[in-house]
Amino acid sequence: MSNQRRHRILMVSDFYYPNFGGVENHIYYLSQCLLTLGHKVVVMTHAYGNRSGVRHVTGGLKVYYVPWVPFIMQNTFPTLYGTLPIIRTILVREKISLVHGHQAFSTLCNEALMHARTMGYKVVFTDHSLYGFADVGSIHMNKVLQFTLADVSQAICVSHTSKENTVLRSGLPPEKVFVIPNAVDTAMFKPAAERLSSDEIIIVVISRLVYRKGADLLVEVIPGVCRLFPNVRFIIGGDGPKRVRLEEMREKHSLQDRVDMLGAVPHAKVQSVLISGHIFLNSSLTEAFCIAILEAASCGLLTVSTRVGGVPEVLPDDMIVLAEPDPDDMVQAIAKAIQILPQIDPQNMHLRMKKLYSWHDVAKRTEIVYDRALKCSDQNLLERLSRYLTCGSWAGKLFCLVMIIDYLLWHLLQLWKPDAHIEEVPDITYGQQEERPSNFD
Amino acid sequence: MVESNARFTYIHHYTTLLDTHHLVVRPNASVTFFLFISRFLLVVIPFLLLLLKDKSATLLLWILLVIALLIKSLLWKHVDKESIIIMPSFGVQLETQYRSGSKFRRFIPMSKILKPVLNECVTPVTCYWSLSLIVRGEEELTLVFKELHPPIKMLVPIWKALCTAADCR
Repeated sequence: MSNQRRHRILMVSDFYYPNFGGVENHIYYLSQCLLTLGHKVVVMTHAYGNRSGVRHVTGGLKVYYVPWVPFIMQNTFPTLYGTLPIIRTILVREKISLVHGHQAFSTLCNEALMHARTMGYKVVFTDHSLYGFADVGSIHMNKVLQFTLADVSQAICVSHTSKENTVLRSGLPPEKVFVIPNAVDTAMFKPAAERLSSDEIIIVVISRLVYRKGADLLVEVIPGVCRLFPNVRFIIGGDGPKRVRLEEMREKHSLQDRVDMLGAVPHAKVQSVLISGHIFLNSSLTEAFCIAILEAASCGLLTVSTRVGGVPEVLPDDMIVLAEPDPDDMVQAIAKAIQILPQIDPQNMHLRMKKLYSWHDVAKRTEIVYDRALKCSDQNLLERLSRYLTCGSWAGKLFCLVMIIDYLLWHLLQLWKPDAHIEEVPDITYGQQEERPSNFD
Repeated sequence: MVESNARFTYIHHYTTLLDTHHLVVRPNASVTFFLFISRFLLVVIPFLLLLLKDKSATLLLWILLVIALLIKSLLWKHVDKESIIIMPSFGVQLETQYRSGSKFRRFIPMSKILKPVLNECVTPVTCYWSLSLIVRGEEELTLVFKELHPPIKMLVPIWKALCTAADCR
């Protein structure tokens, strides 16, 4: 790769390992593949317990665990300007050329993008979730997103539904938003070596047992399926506030021998739970992409899912049976899945998934977005402020004030400690290519 | 060998028996000016106390106390110099000299030093390099420079000298 095209990327989010989830996985795998493409990648997140400071992980990926205490739902406390000194230091010392923020409700992401734009860096934002428009929380978050994306270089969404949602919420021009789906580490999610017996059909559910993931729907679906099919058994992995309702349902319908409640399943053991079943059931009420169904399909399971958000875009029609988020429709979809189960070849499904969903492909597509972002013209403060003014009669003026203060604070920092006084970090170069992870697809 | 930047002066003395590395804090113009003004006021105020009436005396006493406390805080924990004396096959002595004149010394036998390491440290507002020693029997790293955060170019020669002495290159 030519030196000119080598990007130096700072990935910023409150959500990163040792926390587990879709965003965390996305940042890790994308970073690893960008490293193999010859870019420099640095991750910035908040400290997790005693995991603080700088960590170097696989493939030369450098992670800054900044000692900011999480405030709520693994988010740092919103200070607006409190993160400016550390973000500036990292941007200068790592010679960053582009900042990539992940997840709309990550405080650290929103603040980092704001400071990066103040300092003249190009920024890219990836939205991983869908949001509503009516409730108080969504209205507030949408205004924050509008502020963050008012001056973003490019944006990425994980599905076309997610793109539509983001454009509507933020008022961002659609031509600035790219759709790059998630991928799956197929090496980690392999089907069972031997095909399972069809005498007993096992339906697997792995999700957080919360309202958004459709736990209330499961409470009504499971008894209906058990009535229709005496040879069906359920394995439920996951924990959450709705676990009590599922246990009550199990007691009420005397399904203790047919519904196994595993509780929280560590990410490393998800594959071993998946390969013990024939069908994967996803009952989410809202989902931007749903990596869980990718993992299940990679393990050779036929998926039954609610037709919500970006789910219909994820898998080919012969790998998934879709249903409306309604108990009767879900039961019918499961019945249909049981009928077509003999036609499913887990090994073939795994090979197809390997071709369809590759992290290297995601990285190459993201690289194109980075190239586009760096070609965006540089704008002075006044040109940028005009964008914020369009965010609303009151909000626009408030956003402008926030940005002016940020600009002044940045210049004060420049006077107090000029860029020349911040030490640049030497790059760790790998002599042998084998030292880098070679494959994530 | 002497090397300087805006904040520190690094002095290196080497003999066959001792390898000494000093890190001296360069005078800060604003702190020096403040100390000069404070000392001047400390001398002037007692004379003013004698001349003025009782009403103002209490106020001046308070001013005197505040200035004295400020000077104490500036002098007491303000580091003038940090040193590391490497005695091959014997040990390492770490020394911190405060502006107040007090000194803190710590000796670590070479047999207890497992490895010297260069770390990147992160605080909520900044990042800096630090040189630490992994000492046998101690849970935490021992910082070579407890108070000062010199640049990496000053730390590398000390780290190399420690590696040579600890025989872990």
